Amino acid sequence: MASTLSRRQLFANAGKTAITASVASVALSEFLAACGTSSATAETGTVTFWHTYDVQGIENQTLLSKVIPAFNKKYPKITIKAQQIPYQSMLQKVTASIAGGNGPDVFRSDIIWMPQLAKIGALMKLDDVVAQRGSEFYAGPLATCAYQGHYYGLPLDTNTKVVIYNKTLFSRAGISAPPKTTDDFKAAAQKIAALGGNVFGYAEGGLDAWNILPWIWTFGGAVTDDAYKTATGYINGPQSVAAIQFLLDMLGAKQLSPSLLGGSSLGTADALGQNLAGMIIDGPWVPPELQKQYGSAQYDFAAMPAGPGGSINVVGGEDIAILANTQNKAAAMTWLTYMTSDEAQRLMGATGQVPTLKAASSDPSYPAYFSYYNSQLATSKPRPVTPNYTQIDTALTDAFTKALQKKTSVQAALDEAASAINALL
Amino acid sequence: MRVSLATNTTSPQSQQRRWWLSVRRYLPIYLLIFPGMALFLVWTMFPLIYAFVMSFFQWNPNPVATSPFSGLANYTRALHDPIFYQALRNTFLYTIITVVGQMAAGLGVAVLLNTKMVGRSVFRIFFYLPVVCSWVVVSIIFSYIFSTGGLVDYIFGTVLHLISPQQNWLGDTALALPTLMLLGIWKGIGWNMVIFLAGLQGIPTEINEAARVDGASRWQIFTRITLPLLRPTISFASVILTIGAFGTFIPMFILTKGGPLHSTETLLTYAYTNAFSSFDFGYGAALTYLFAAFIFVLALIQIRVTRARTQY
Amino acid sequence: MTTPTPRDPSPKAAQMVRTTLTYLLLSAGAVIMIVPLLMMLSTALMPNQYALHTPPLIIPLHPTLANFAAAWGQNNFAQAFINSVVVAVSSTFLTILLGAMLAFAFARYRFPGRNVLFYGMLATMSVPTIVLLIPQFVLASRLHVTDSLWGLVLVYAAGMAFTVYLLKGFFEDLPQELFDAAAIDGAGVWLSFFCIALPLARPALAAATIFAFSTNWDEFTWAITSLNDEKKYTLPVAVQQFFSTHATNWGIVFAATTLAIIPTVVVFLIFQRYFVSGISAGAVKG
Repeated sequence: MASTLSRRQLFANAGKTAITASVASVALSEFLAACGTSSATAETGTVTFWHTYDVQGIENQTLLSKVIPAFNKKYPKITIKAQQIPYQSMLQKVTASIAGGNGPDVFRSDIIWMPQLAKIGALMKLDDVVAQRGSEFYAGPLATCAYQGHYYGLPLDTNTKVVIYNKTLFSRAGISAPPKTTDDFKAAAQKIAALGGNVFGYAEGGLDAWNILPWIWTFGGAVTDDAYKTATGYINGPQSVAAIQFLLDMLGAKQLSPSLLGGSSLGTADALGQNLAGMIIDGPWVPPELQKQYGSAQYDFAAMPAGPGGSINVVGGEDIAILANTQNKAAAMTWLTYMTSDEAQRLMGATGQVPTLKAASSDPSYPAYFSYYNSQLATSKPRPVTPNYTQIDTALTDAFTKALQKKTSVQAALDEAASAINALL
Repeated sequence: MRVSLATNTTSPQSQQRRWWLSVRRYLPIYLLIFPGMALFLVWTMFPLIYAFVMSFFQWNPNPVATSPFSGLANYTRALHDPIFYQALRNTFLYTIITVVGQMAAGLGVAVLLNTKMVGRSVFRIFFYLPVVCSWVVVSIIFSYIFSTGGLVDYIFGTVLHLISPQQNWLGDTALALPTLMLLGIWKGIGWNMVIFLAGLQGIPTEINEAARVDGASRWQIFTRITLPLLRPTISFASVILTIGAFGTFIPMFILTKGGPLHSTETLLTYAYTNAFSSFDFGYGAALTYLFAAFIFVLALIQIRVTRARTQY
Repeated sequence: MTTPTPRDPSPKAAQMVRTTLTYLLLSAGAVIMIVPLLMMLSTALMPNQYALHTPPLIIPLHPTLANFAAAWGQNNFAQAFINSVVVAVSSTFLTILLGAMLAFAFARYRFPGRNVLFYGMLATMSVPTIVLLIPQFVLASRLHVTDSLWGLVLVYAAGMAFTVYLLKGFFEDLPQELFDAAAIDGAGVWLSFFCIALPLARPALAAATIFAFSTNWDEFTWAITSLNDEKKYTLPVAVQQFFSTHATNWGIVFAATTLAIIPTVVVFLIFQRYFVSGISAGAVKG
């Protein structure tokens, strides 16, 4: 329960406390507007924009008080109607609105939803835009907008996960440096768990692909072959089995918190903040949350520990897309272009949203911990890009649950996942 | 049965006059049912038929896209889908256990409260409070007290040593559905208490007195006299509770989303996931129609039984 | 216990034991019913670091209203509460009025189409509302009542089958002589309904009103599907959204849920006599 919530909910809260306002960017935008670079365009109308930025947090504040006003300086005749939809209901709401033909014009989509929405023809093709601007973006995030040879959006923000470790517990357990390899990781978890009480070495919030795939990749495993043709020999190959066995062993030795299996009402970031977890592996939205809730917590960052497959984590993030049935294509396109512009990328970057635009990769207003995430992104991998992704995710979660709750052997659980996923490819 | 509109079959009248008479007779009735019927037909019947049609298609929610006709494929798929059977099993288990559990507990409380006693109204309020709290709220409360190391673990594990103090109530395949059942029973006891209190108060005290004088024990009075006389109440409550239990969706939606490993998957959660998360609306509709067919048959039986019994 | 046992030898002592047992059992039950709610209240009254405290705290440590202030300030609960009242009251009114008209016609008149319409309506009771979600949404979009409280009212009121089923039974039991007498005086269908049937059916209407109101007040799935604008959220939606964005901040979550249930609990405490008589009216009829 808490497991499925923690990631997204924290995501939504990202950057609440982060960073002072990016004075530089605002100044820049005023400068550009004054030059009248693009204010000659005469598009009019209202663009409804659905997003999942935290309604209370700095992301939404920045959108409303900086990004949209800066946009309106250039395009005074376009009204942006931004509506926040909670992450959990977004996919359902977008689907219903497609069926009803009254959805938003522009929509900020989790990268994993794109193929599914593209498949039902809900999104406008943006091939010509990508042909023109594709090279401005990092290749990984851009690839999440593609489905069957066409592009249906532009990357808006990207993220991955790194190790966040509790320095207080590390020094109490006598560990001097963050773990570099999976063996180091297990040894550190062992030492921290030995502190006793309710303290665990490593806390993970659930058994979704998002939580577990980094370990499978790090151990050299995979979900399918690169062409998404078969899962046999990949998700049930020896490397994948070794990864799950590694987690199972840590769980058995109480190095890994049982919150992995769900049922905990304490989020992993809270466990870290309350000195109950030595290490978590999580995204860039966690540090601002930690800072806000646990001001005195001592923590630092490290790359995903390296295993036989390298130091691999998972790519997350959002794309921005136009719904195919929009009534106002020109204005919607203008808004999409603006949100992926250097100016908007920098403004949102300051709130903890890692930019996808190469030109906006660094800015004095970005949080310092971005560097860890940026270097992890270089080796991070996407989850399978296919319209049946949500079902594949379910098949994976089922298999991980079976293995880690010891309902079946690891091999048997992953064999089952392989045949279930084969049927979905 | 009703006399007011006994049909007039006597004198041979012209077609026109006949027609005029039947208009005069029926028009006010049709006008009476029109507003409600219109609302019902538009917002319930039409969507119902629409969903039925959807179940024969690989339905694409995008109105401009084509939805291929697939005949009975969605239905045959359900019949070969192990998760469908698991969901069916869970739905029936949840319904039977929560309905029986609520009625038994509610009846027990009602029997205990069915005397003149101090504090009766206070007890009644306490037992009824969960009924007035919304499902969303009580689901959130249960996610907290049934969390690992939470209140339930503390009382039954740490204090009473009956279980391990680190139970994974909502994350364990064996415990998640029973936890949801406990929530369903807990929330419903108060409603049953009120129903049964009313039923008990409908039983004339003389009957009990007479039995007592004849030397019947309390247990005998309860099983031989009270329960049979409560039959209409029991039938009424079981119809309402069964419909309610079959339709339970919010606690699963909020607490488990059908997991872990489909152990709390009911037909509703499964249909919902298929439609809104996999976009497989045709299949979702077929699932709910299979389910509706089951309930419909059950409801018919239950209504028959209720009628037969109340007319003693 | 097949043979009749003689009455208890010492009635007074036995009565004492019985009374004590009754109170013990009832108190144990009451504790189970009330502790989860107290837990919510106590967690809402404490700073967040005491949430998930071991041992769990039923009596709050360092009580504070900060969580309530935060929850109220962030979530526009007053607006959600007003929305819920507007929606539940108007949809319940429509359900009861139109449902009673239908039930009366079905109960006291024979007319072409009566059976088809009545049993068709009854049959829909067995279909879970989730089935209707997408078609209703498509329809609501065409009629421009998505993201609108009217959309909720219409859909809730259309779920009147149970009300019709319940009230039909009552109307059938009214003595025919009343209506015959009225007919002699020239009262038609409408007059009979409004002047005779409706006033007599008051207890049944109360029962039906309570059912309809609590269903409409609690409804969540359609509301969360059709509403996008947070200013239009009803309470269940507002609370759930709050839960999903503050999942581990239990103090604030429970402050929000407490705020959401206070009005219903107060209404219940004031009108509990009517609640009870309303529900039981349905039960006794059967």
